[in-house]
Amino acid sequence: MSSERSLYGGRIALVDVNNFYVSCERVFDPALERRPVVVLSNNDGCVVARSEEAKQLGIATGTPWFKVSPEAERWGLVARSSNYELYGDLSARVMEVLGRFGSWQEVYSIDECFLGLPGDERQLLGTAARIRAAVMRHVGVPVCVGVAGTKTLAKFVNHIAKRNPHMQGVCSLDSMPAGEVARIQARVPVTGLWGVGGRTAKRLNAMGIETVADLKAADPQLIRKRFSVVLQRTVLELNGTACIPHSEERADKQQIMFSRSFSTPVTSAEEMDQVMAVYAQRGAARMAAEGLSASVLTVTAGTSRFGDGDKSFPSASARLPVPTQDPIQLTRAAVATMRTCISPGTSYVRAGVLFTGLEPADGQQTLDPFVSDLDQRHIGDLLGSVRAKFGEAAIGLGQGGLAVPAAWSMKRDFSSPRYTTEWCDLPVVRA
Amino acid sequence: MAAAMFGMETPSPSGPGPETNDGGGPGDARGFPSPAQDYFHGGIDLNRHLIRDRTCTFIMRVSGNSMAASGISDGDELIVDRSLPPRDGSVVVAVVNGELIVRRLHLSGGHVSLQTDDGGVPTEVPELADLSIWGVATRCLHHV
Repeated sequence: MSSERSLYGGRIALVDVNNFYVSCERVFDPALERRPVVVLSNNDGCVVARSEEAKQLGIATGTPWFKVSPEAERWGLVARSSNYELYGDLSARVMEVLGRFGSWQEVYSIDECFLGLPGDERQLLGTAARIRAAVMRHVGVPVCVGVAGTKTLAKFVNHIAKRNPHMQGVCSLDSMPAGEVARIQARVPVTGLWGVGGRTAKRLNAMGIETVADLKAADPQLIRKRFSVVLQRTVLELNGTACIPHSEERADKQQIMFSRSFSTPVTSAEEMDQVMAVYAQRGAARMAAEGLSASVLTVTAGTSRFGDGDKSFPSASARLPVPTQDPIQLTRAAVATMRTCISPGTSYVRAGVLFTGLEPADGQQTLDPFVSDLDQRHIGDLLGSVRAKFGEAAIGLGQGGLAVPAAWSMKRDFSSPRYTTEWCDLPVVRA
Repeated sequence: MAAAMFGMETPSPSGPGPETNDGGGPGDARGFPSPAQDYFHGGIDLNRHLIRDRTCTFIMRVSGNSMAASGISDGDELIVDRSLPPRDGSVVVAVVNGELIVRRLHLSGGHVSLQTDDGGVPTEVPELADLSIWGVATRCLHHV
C-alpha cells in the first residue's frame, strides 16, 4: 500500500461501535450478552439493529417485528424498543472518548467517527488498540478501528477488522501484507465500499467492474465522465490519495447530522448560539423536506488539538418534549443544550448537531422558518407559559402542537429504562 | 441526554433560552459591572466535585441492605466510575449471573471474592480473569 501521508497529515482511523443500539442495551443489562437481541424502530415496527446472534438466526434489518415475534420465544430472541435517550447519551460519551485520541475528529454518525492519528505504523496499531480498550472501559461498548491513509480505505479496513475476529477489532492497512490486501479487494464486491450503492454497482458491473480491486484499477477520468466526481474520488482514495473533505452535512435513514470546522474559532456562547441556530434550522428544513420529525438531538463541540489552550470535546443530548421538525423548538433546544456543556472563553474550532429518533411527521404542515419574526413576538415564551400552566400537550406550534401524538403515546412495549438521562430510570444494582 | 445526569436542565419547549441559562455569573448582568466580577469562578458545582470524568461516570440506584454497614442503604444512589482499576477493598459493581450487584472486593494471595457487609455468603471467584467488574463505586448519595 502507498505510504504517502494523507491530505490531513498522519493516518485516518474509522472507529465505529459494533451493533451500536444492541451494545447500548447490553451495557446495563448484562443478561443480554450472548443472546440474540434486536432493537425495533419507532412504534416497534421493524428490526433496526441486531446482535451477532440475531444475525446468525437470519433476521434481516428491516424485518417487520410481527414476522419474527412468533418465533421469539423458541429462539430466545429478545426485542427492545428504540431507546434514543440512552443511545444518544452513550454516543456522546463514546465520541468524547474518541476525540481524546485524534488530532482531528469528524463525527460521521451516531456510532462512527473519523479520527486523525499521528505517528508511525507501530504506534498506530498501539493507538488503535488503546482506543478500543478505552471505549470498552469507559462506556462498555465494543468498537472496531480501521486505519488507513484515506477515509474510503479506513472504512474498508474497518470491515476487514469486523469480519476477522482474530484481529481483535483493529486493522491497519499498512500492517497487512500487500498480497493479502489485493486478495481481499479482488473478492469484495464494489457494494462493500463506502458510498457505492446498488444502482451504481449495477452500472459498474455492466462495465465489467465487479470488485473493489476492479474499481481501484479503473481510470478515474472515465469514472468521473460516466458517473460522478464522487465516485472518481472513491477511485482516487482506493489508490491512496485522500480527497474526501470533512463534510458538513450527513444523512441516512436513522439520523440527520450537521457538523463543521470553523475557519476562525468560536469563543463566546453567543456565537455558538448562532452556529446552533443555523444547524437546527437546516435540520428543520431537511426534516420538513423528508417528512420527518426528530425526538432527540445531540450537540457536540471541540477545541483544536494543537496550541496551548485548554482542550475539550463536550457533548450533550436532549430529548425533545414531542418529536418535532419545528425550527423554533429545535433552535431553542440546540442552543440551550449546547450552553449546558461549553465554557465561554474556550476556543472551539468545530461544532455539530445530530438529530436522531426520526419518525414520519404524519404529513402535518410545518411552519415556515420565520424564526426571528416569531421570536420577536415572544410566541415561544407564550407557548412555554401556557404549557407550564396547562401541560405539555396543551398548545404548540406546527409539529409541536396537538396534531402530533406525544412521545409517550408512541408504542414502546419493550423499552429499556432511560438509564443515564432520567433520575427515575437509574439502573438498579442489588446489594 | 447527559443533561439530567450532569445536573443540566433539559430544554423545555420554551427554553431555557440564553437569558435563563447563561451560567448566572455577575459578569452577565446588564448595567453597572459588579466589583466581584473578577473573583467569580462559578458557584460550587457538585458535578465537578463528584465526577472525575463524565464519559465513564454513571449513577445507579441501590436495592437491598446487605451493604448498609458500608453506608450504602436501600434506595441510595451510587456514583460509579467504570474506568477506575478495582483494588482490594474497593466497593465494586460486579456482573454475576447477568445481574449487577454491589459488593466489596477482596483480593488476597490469588484468592478473589465479592463480600457483603452483613456476613452473607461471599461470592467466590475462581480466577481473577473470571471476574466481571462493571465499575468502581466512588460515592454513595445517602438519603438522610
